Amino acid sequence: MADTINQTTRKGFLVDTSRCIGCRSCQVACKQWNKLDADKTANKGTFENPRDLTPALYNRIRFIEKETSGEMTWQFFNERCMHCGDAGCMKVCPSPGALYRTKDGIVAFNKDKCISCKYCVSACPFNIPRYGTDDKVSKCHLCTDRISGGMTPACAKACPTETLKYGKRSDLIAKATAAKKTLYGVDDLLGLGVVYALEGPPEQYGLPAKPGIPMSIFLWKDVIKPLGILGFWGSIGAMLLHYVTIGPKKVDDDLNVKEDGHE
Amino acid sequence: MSNYIERFSTSERVLHWIVTASFFTLLLTGLGLYSTLFNGYFSLFGGGRNAILIHKISGVLFFLSSLYMFFNHQKDVTGFDQDDKKWVTERGGYLSRNASHFNIGKYNPGQKLFAIFIAAATLVLGVTGLFIWAPTMFPRWIVQLSLMAHGLMFVCSIMFVVVHVYLATIGNPGTIEAMLYGNVRSLWARKHHPKWYREVTGEKP
Ligand code: HEM
Ligand code: SF4
Ligand code: SF4
Ligand code: SF4
Repeated sequence: MADTINQTTRKGFLVDTSRCIGCRSCQVACKQWNKLDADKTANKGTFENPRDLTPALYNRIRFIEKETSGEMTWQFFNERCMHCGDAGCMKVCPSPGALYRTKDGIVAFNKDKCISCKYCVSACPFNIPRYGTDDKVSKCHLCTDRISGGMTPACAKACPTETLKYGKRSDLIAKATAAKKTLYGVDDLLGLGVVYALEGPPEQYGLPAKPGIPMSIFLWKDVIKPLGILGFWGSIGAMLLHYVTIGPKKVDDDLNVKEDGHE
Repeated sequence: MSNYIERFSTSERVLHWIVTASFFTLLLTGLGLYSTLFNGYFSLFGGGRNAILIHKISGVLFFLSSLYMFFNHQKDVTGFDQDDKKWVTERGGYLSRNASHFNIGKYNPGQKLFAIFIAAATLVLGVTGLFIWAPTMFPRWIVQLSLMAHGLMFVCSIMFVVVHVYLATIGNPGTIEAMLYGNVRSLWARKHHPKWYREVTGEKP
């Protein structure tokens, strides 16, 4: 499916990790707006909670504990769908409209169209899509319903420190670059819709240094798929060609040969 | 000399057509998953969710019946002798119009290779299919590799089956009778599988 993105009008987030205080207002606001149920969680000896995205948790704060010269510090990372410019989930989705790109460049979803194949789970470079008891895709849709009405996404609105800034992607990047921030996701995968200002190497935040569509997913959809269609018609063509050039092996051909030869 | 000799028993034929029916069901239900170009094929089954369900059911049927068919034929399709070598070097005479003569047993090397390939493809498709079935229960890299391998084996087996169907029908007139009624004409057997013909009839060369 042709998935085109307008880089100049594209909307997105800039997440400045240095500002985050780990209050998790974003988690709560998202649940409230999207009417998502609470998840039962367990205390695993850290303040991080929940420990992973769930079908009812579209964004969460990852707590990264660091010890520097005997002192404990935290880094906070807002984990969510990145709204990739080249989205692995959309590349593999066999059901048109289940995952779709809005005019703002957001990767949104429509549960009614989702056929529960779960291909998007495997194709996402960031391991984002989740499945609930309804067996349908769920993830951050960048509050498509709010921004189409001119509102700010719920999580960004709730954020007390302006860690989450929503707006025109190119403006956000220009401002952050002027402020000499180290940015993640400006060019990868045709640009992530969620760009991060990080205070350390991406690996420290659990991010791939060079995010990309998984190799076998690329081979599957961009190499095997087109070659396979070619191969199918090629094999049919080859058989037809054989039939009209060399022709079938008729049993009575032999009979004639025998009759000619022996009688 | 009777005109016809038996090539496949009733159970062999029924098994073959179960394998074939499940294969084509898998093909049709898989097309829409293979590419959005073939999205229309979902409507044959009442939508993508049903297509996936039918794909899973026929997948189990194909896996079991196809492997059973292979083990049934195993002794006839896994050994290659000197006469088979000659067939392979001369491409079974398929690249020339001249009449060719090979001393072939029940199956020729092309059929043997096809049977072995289909068994291998069945294994790969079945195992990768299981990983794709429940992707959240396995490591991501295994599921990603499985999606690729499943797609690859899907197209390879379709291409092999296209060749198989051609050779079993219009490419070698008289062959399809073996799978339809179970009997083939003696002339057909003497031409295509002379060694097998002599084994069955006890005729001297
Ligand atoms: C419309 C489709 C098909 C037709 C008309 C057809 C026809 C035949 C015929 C006539 C034979 C006997 C050949 C002989 O007597 O030497 C045969 C054998 C066989 N068929 Fe099919 N077939 C079809 C589909 C398939 C499919 C889909 C599969 C597997 C996926 C398959 C697997 C086999 C195998 C393994 C044999 C055993 C001998 C060999 O390896 O060629 N067939 N088929
Ligand atoms: S982060 Fe994953 S789910 Fe989100 S757009 Fe990218 S590939 Fe799709
Ligand atoms: S699970 Fe749903 S959204 Fe994901 S790829 Fe399949 S149809 Fe598309
Ligand atoms: S943008 Fe909306 S859907 Fe996405 S995490 Fe924020 S509140 Fe949730």
